[in-house]
Amino acid sequence: MALVEIADLKVSFRQYGGTIDAVRGISFTVNEGESLGIVGESGSGKSVSCSALLRLLPATAEVSATKLQLDGIDVSKARKDDLARLRGRSAAMIFQDPMTAFDPVFTIGHQITETIQAHRNVAKRDALKEAEDLLLRVEIKNASDVLNYFPHQLSGGMLQRAMIAMALSCRPKVLIADEPTTALDVTIQAQILQLIKKVQAEFGMALIMITHDLGVIAETVDRVLVMYRGEVMEEGPVQQIFDAPQHAYTKQLLASLHASFEPSRGSDSKTPALELKGLAKAYRIRRRRGLFTDYSDFHAVREVNIALPKNRIVGIVGESGSGKTTTGMMALRLTDVSRGQILVDGQDISALSAEALKPWRKKMQVVFQDSYSALDPMMTLTQTIAEPLHIHGIGSAREQEETALDWLERVGLDRTYANRYPHELSGGQRQRVAIARALVLEPDVLVADEPTSALDVTVKAQIIGLLKKLQAEMGLSILFISHDLSTVKSLTDSVVVMYRGRVVEEAPTERIFSDPQHPYTRALLDAVPATNPKLRRERTFLTAEQIAAQTPRLTTLQAGTAPHSDPQLVAIAPDHRVEAYVTN
Amino acid sequence: MLGYILRRLVSVAFTFIAVSLIIFLMMHAVPGGPFDANDMPVSEAVRAKLMAQLGLDQPLYVQYLKYMWGVLHFDFGVPYQSPGESVLQLLSRAWVPSLVLGGLGVLIGAPLGILLGMAAALNRNSWIDYLASAVATIGLTIPVFVTSMLLILVFAVWLKWLPASGWPNPERWILPIIAYAAIPVATYARYTRSAMLDTMSRPFVTVLRAKGLSERRIVFQHVLRNSAIPLVTVFLPMFIGTATGSIFVEAMFRVPGLGAYFVSSIETRDYPLEMALMLMITFMYCIAYLLSDIVYALINPRIRVGGAE
Repeated sequence: MALVEIADLKVSFRQYGGTIDAVRGISFTVNEGESLGIVGESGSGKSVSCSALLRLLPATAEVSATKLQLDGIDVSKARKDDLARLRGRSAAMIFQDPMTAFDPVFTIGHQITETIQAHRNVAKRDALKEAEDLLLRVEIKNASDVLNYFPHQLSGGMLQRAMIAMALSCRPKVLIADEPTTALDVTIQAQILQLIKKVQAEFGMALIMITHDLGVIAETVDRVLVMYRGEVMEEGPVQQIFDAPQHAYTKQLLASLHASFEPSRGSDSKTPALELKGLAKAYRIRRRRGLFTDYSDFHAVREVNIALPKNRIVGIVGESGSGKTTTGMMALRLTDVSRGQILVDGQDISALSAEALKPWRKKMQVVFQDSYSALDPMMTLTQTIAEPLHIHGIGSAREQEETALDWLERVGLDRTYANRYPHELSGGQRQRVAIARALVLEPDVLVADEPTSALDVTVKAQIIGLLKKLQAEMGLSILFISHDLSTVKSLTDSVVVMYRGRVVEEAPTERIFSDPQHPYTRALLDAVPATNPKLRRERTFLTAEQIAAQTPRLTTLQAGTAPHSDPQLVAIAPDHRVEAYVTN
Repeated sequence: MLGYILRRLVSVAFTFIAVSLIIFLMMHAVPGGPFDANDMPVSEAVRAKLMAQLGLDQPLYVQYLKYMWGVLHFDFGVPYQSPGESVLQLLSRAWVPSLVLGGLGVLIGAPLGILLGMAAALNRNSWIDYLASAVATIGLTIPVFVTSMLLILVFAVWLKWLPASGWPNPERWILPIIAYAAIPVATYARYTRSAMLDTMSRPFVTVLRAKGLSERRIVFQHVLRNSAIPLVTVFLPMFIGTATGSIFVEAMFRVPGLGAYFVSSIETRDYPLEMALMLMITFMYCIAYLLSDIVYALINPRIRVGGAE
């Protein structure tokens, strides 16, 4: 008998002025031990369907189904005690953002043991022992310490492991993972996915993997359900979906995995559009000791050298905390510089006063990740796009508006959108407006800080296409900051890899992917999810110590520089530099 | 934690000095003095003698330093309007009714407000919720002297259930306590409701539901504890505000409390009493904020326990 049986499930939400149909009659089943992937964009109804299965939807939701059955229980008729069995014992869930998924005021140990005790009559001591075993099984080494930690004391990856341990605590028959790795770095994502597969096999559970990322699907599941606007577009074995997609939407999704790359034209000019020389950022950390205060420095960025040639796109890649965003913000003088120079077209702007900087601001613009908070909610699109012109006093009010309208079209929005407000747009449309606002001054340099990370895959591909097109038209130089290697692959000419505040490798994009030299670059590449289920594989993960130990070692002869106790960035080929220890 | 408390005590001392200086200067900056001709018709010679006796003829900084020196030795001087006792004696006599009535008002009002707020949050958009917001709005918008008059009119005049005013016997306390409780009930109902709704919309509550905890446990263990964090910072300061008495409530119910002295000490230029009252309030607020910050740290692990590294 099937573990999960859903037939003609419909979910709608009552809202001001009507209802929104989130799920429009979907059906699927999951058998014991099977793994099902549900893939779709935000708003496709994939999460809502699974929340309905555990009756986790808010009171404003209206659910109807001819069959909604989990572990032999009719969910829609389940009473209190049935519900307690369904939640945790029949099915357990893990969620997207582990940072917000734990109650901040209780320890990890408390939260796991309370789950155990809610379902089974176990003494506190035994429950704690069990919690420790579970933490060990999800590969948390210092399990007994972690039991006493509060959520804020752990990293996102560790919290997601603890969340998995908590989900396993009542031996559920099906594990529902709702975008479990979307909030995590790519290396951590690979570890968590591998862990989920491992525990699924060990505990003999079924798995429902909800995700927008086809890579995650390719890595983890047997069968796929493609959802779009509350309906199932296509269903089938994972290999079949990847090899012979039937539906146009599935084909579109798959196409976004294999974006083509064309290099930008570049320029004859030797002077880079933007050059960062020895740029560093240190934050002062205050530590209180009784009545006194100790100060120490935290080096967010340690003396990086990055050059952005004219009419080129350079990517900065690294995990969160690597200093990539800080570097980008320093380049724009939006974050104060601790040391170093910022050369724009050969001129140092690192020490200019705010007033002297103003003409330079015109040449350098920025696009951020979260388009919603980057746009003023009280301004119409025209006002938003025209504001930079107004600030720099370019043209009359009439001309400014006309230019703004032209730009609206240029970024692919209709002129009729002129008087709309940001909340009326989708995420992708808002990002187009943010791009128009950045480019309306016709800058030379654009810093794009994860501009596509918050977007759905198909929209992401459109925004990348737009950036590429505008770059070619305007001869822009773009510094593209991203944690996502696949995006970088289809867009940038060269890549700078940052790790713990340092540049560890730098090379043309094609070379970084074909011949990575630094262990961290390799780890990053290795962690990228497969683009086809055939390429699934077991991975081994390096610790920070292993990465340090595997840093290349070169002789002075090979490196052509003097020996040094700290690793140095050494040129090993034209345009290819890697961090290495230089010894005699 | 100990270092934190020590640092805060040092800052309390500085606040105290700064406030005392400001009050002292403002008090003397207002034209006139305690022995102005129309208030106290005495001869020029007597006036000069009185001024000398009270030290008011000395330069301001000398007066200030002398007063503060006295304060360090718990000598707050003698009130001009009641020279038969010291300021401390007057305060300890008059403060009892204010503390009892105001304190009970908060101690009864706060839990009621919290319960009302909880009921409203748990039954959002139901009649309980609307009732709670009606109570909160009424409690906050109707001035306390109007509430007091209504209470006297209904319970003392019409229903004749309770005495209208007075102090010593406890049945006379009931109406003023209700008047005092109106604001804590209203404020707490509002704060609790919004704090709980905020907590309940956070993702971890969905996680708690998904792992099969009972709704009761979720509310009483998790939601309440998280909602309490912002609430403690409001509790003690509000207690001080009410426990130092209200001029209006005490006047309406003829309670011989501290409230009236706030007005009379300023009107009659009773410098020692004015200073003592202000310093007392400053001190109590400083301590209240210190205590609430400590409690805040105790129930919030993100402050109590630092990050992992």
